[in-house]
Amino acid sequence: MIKIFLNEFRRVFSDTGVLIFFFIVPLLYPALYSWLYNNEIVREVPAVIVDDSKSSLSRELIRRLNATQELNVVDYKENIDEARQLIMQQEARGIVYIPSSFAADIHSHRQTTVSLYVDMSSMLYYKSLLTSLTNVTLDMGSEISVSMMNSQTHREEQIAAAPLSYEAVPMFNPVGGYGCFLIPAVLMLVIHQTLILGIGMSSGTLRENNRGHKLITRQEAPFGIARVVLGKTLCYFMIYLVMSCYITMAIPRMFNFIQLAGFWQIIAILIPFLLATIFFALTLSCLMQQREHVMLIIIFTSVPLLFISGIPWPVSSLNASYKAISYIFPSTFGINAFVKVNSMGASLGDILFELRALWIQVAVYFLLALFVWKPKRWNKE
Amino acid sequence: MSKTGIIQSLWDIMKREIKTLIHAPIYWFSMIVFPLFVIFFFSGLMNEGLPTDMPVGVVDLDNSTTSRKLLRNYDAFQQSHIVAHYPDVNQARRAMQKCEIYAFMYIPQNMERDLLASRQPKISFYYNNSVLLAGSLIYKEMRAISTLGAASVGSAKLQAKGLTQHQIKSVLQPIATDVHAIDNPMLNYNIALSTTIIPACLALFILLVTAYSVGIELKNNRAKSWMRMAENRVLIALIGKFIPQTIIFTLVVWLYQYWLFVHLNFPHNCSFWAILLIGFVLVVAAQSFAIFIFSLLPTLRMSMSICSLWGVLSFSISGFTYPVTSMAPSLQILSWLFPMRHYFMIYQMNILHGYSLHYSWMYVVALLAFILLPLFMLSRLKKIFYKYVYLP
Repeated sequence: MIKIFLNEFRRVFSDTGVLIFFFIVPLLYPALYSWLYNNEIVREVPAVIVDDSKSSLSRELIRRLNATQELNVVDYKENIDEARQLIMQQEARGIVYIPSSFAADIHSHRQTTVSLYVDMSSMLYYKSLLTSLTNVTLDMGSEISVSMMNSQTHREEQIAAAPLSYEAVPMFNPVGGYGCFLIPAVLMLVIHQTLILGIGMSSGTLRENNRGHKLITRQEAPFGIARVVLGKTLCYFMIYLVMSCYITMAIPRMFNFIQLAGFWQIIAILIPFLLATIFFALTLSCLMQQREHVMLIIIFTSVPLLFISGIPWPVSSLNASYKAISYIFPSTFGINAFVKVNSMGASLGDILFELRALWIQVAVYFLLALFVWKPKRWNKE
Repeated sequence: MSKTGIIQSLWDIMKREIKTLIHAPIYWFSMIVFPLFVIFFFSGLMNEGLPTDMPVGVVDLDNSTTSRKLLRNYDAFQQSHIVAHYPDVNQARRAMQKCEIYAFMYIPQNMERDLLASRQPKISFYYNNSVLLAGSLIYKEMRAISTLGAASVGSAKLQAKGLTQHQIKSVLQPIATDVHAIDNPMLNYNIALSTTIIPACLALFILLVTAYSVGIELKNNRAKSWMRMAENRVLIALIGKFIPQTIIFTLVVWLYQYWLFVHLNFPHNCSFWAILLIGFVLVVAAQSFAIFIFSLLPTLRMSMSICSLWGVLSFSISGFTYPVTSMAPSLQILSWLFPMRHYFMIYQMNILHGYSLHYSWMYVVALLAFILLPLFMLSRLKKIFYKYVYLP
């Protein structure tokens, strides 16, 4: 087994293609992705104002909108059509329209309506502009209603305008940052995908290099399949334990992402996750006829796998068949376990389901890998 | 070479390529099976448009008629579904950490009594922002239900004071807002995401298959015979080889466009012919880009690695989820090097919103410029095909 392990180690380090997947990609991709999303939230979305009211109240509204971090007033236009020009030129993402009756309505105690038109090229523009407008109109509104009533005390007015108050507490990702939400899932996915790519390329090469297109070479066959599989696993596992520690611990620190998990908690997830992924990759090796095939087969799966992990799209909205597909891949459980422990501060007891599922996958894919790697035709030759 | 000679060698190379495509199962999978899978996978995944009935919990310490009525009304909302009641905040928090619920509402003791006595009780929502979409959608509904709850209590009181319905409205919400999400009024996530994720996946296949099929010529030692068939004209060799692939990929892209814009009736404000044309341009631009990458890095593994880097980064840098304008300035410039970025801009400006080409011409030019890239590399490619050997 040690011999197989050393052999595999040597093969990994002499194959540039495998080195790219095992070292370059895991080192660079997480950093690149973190850089992409490092601004976290969409600030100062450019908006254009159409102010038909031209009153001190409408100017107050505009001033307050401009003061929010979500919205930035870039221009004033006379009518909606002119404002639309700016949207078409991609210089503004939304139009705030204040009707001519705005101030008159407020002074005569009528409800008035401010309109917002949003360009839907990105949901996040919509979210930012809506947040800004809602917050400002609610604030200004409650001040107006307080001044409207002639009650005895200030407190009484406040209560009449809002008899029930509420507070919203965003948990685990207080600013609603895009990076803090997506990156932890992407990090685990990078480990999963590069491991499969590297192992797939390595076994594809084996297939190409011997005449029978078999996974096990003639030199290795006498050791027995179990030893070969375990020896290779040990090699990949040792390399990836180091790489995963960098990805799951150093990257969040470098880019200031949330990290609530302790070292041993992450290790407790990584061990079954890496083993399950390695055995899964060894099982998939039977599909790789040539070393380059692995890229054609595996790379596109990254985005679907991310989506069915339940982080970008809530798992409660996945129907049964998508859920069933997601249970095949170690990434689903690895991502969920890591996100729960790392971003939501869950304890290992809270992720028992994921850990159990990963260990079951370890067992199942180990057996499948043995089955796949069993040389069928050696005996006949 | 005469005109008929050119056509003859084009035809011969095409026949040779078709034979290759048919006999290697990997092409069947990565040109037809996987792309079709991706199309139906994503358009089916989000077919509800918005997630509905996401599980939420409740900590109701008041347990009064008012609080139960509030919760009943809340449960009727479309996106939230109350699945559990917890005796205290700690247990609700643990359920949230296990992702059994995405949010919970906390109703304090004596809420009803405080409400009647005008002591302005406060209810709280705790929502999970690590699952950003679920968190923010549920937050919106929880805010709506508490505003409604406050309004029903407040209006009863104001009515007693003798205010008219109009006045009550103006007291409770003096400034209302009226939001128009242009061309996607229901905030349908399928419309927002599938329209770019799917073509980005298809572009990824095109990049990889193109780089693979050029590189494999070297690997299988067929490059020289291929060049001989084209009588040493690289351009003829490339065109002949890629016409069959272009046809297949274009049909796949057209199928995707038909499925989304016709079958699922996604919003589009330009003619369907224009959509098909853009789809075709995307296919050729991606192919040309991959050939260009191969001519820069003429090994199979390097060109495929760069193509997959480009293809995978396209999902982020085309800006359909997190907008490019909010990324670092250097990344905004880099985004011009990605064909998918231009496709996305053309999609959202011309197809979704129906603006005229007058506003998006530079993206069209940029996409067309990718098609010209291989032309600068013809002599280098010739050298590659004759001299380079395959490196594993």
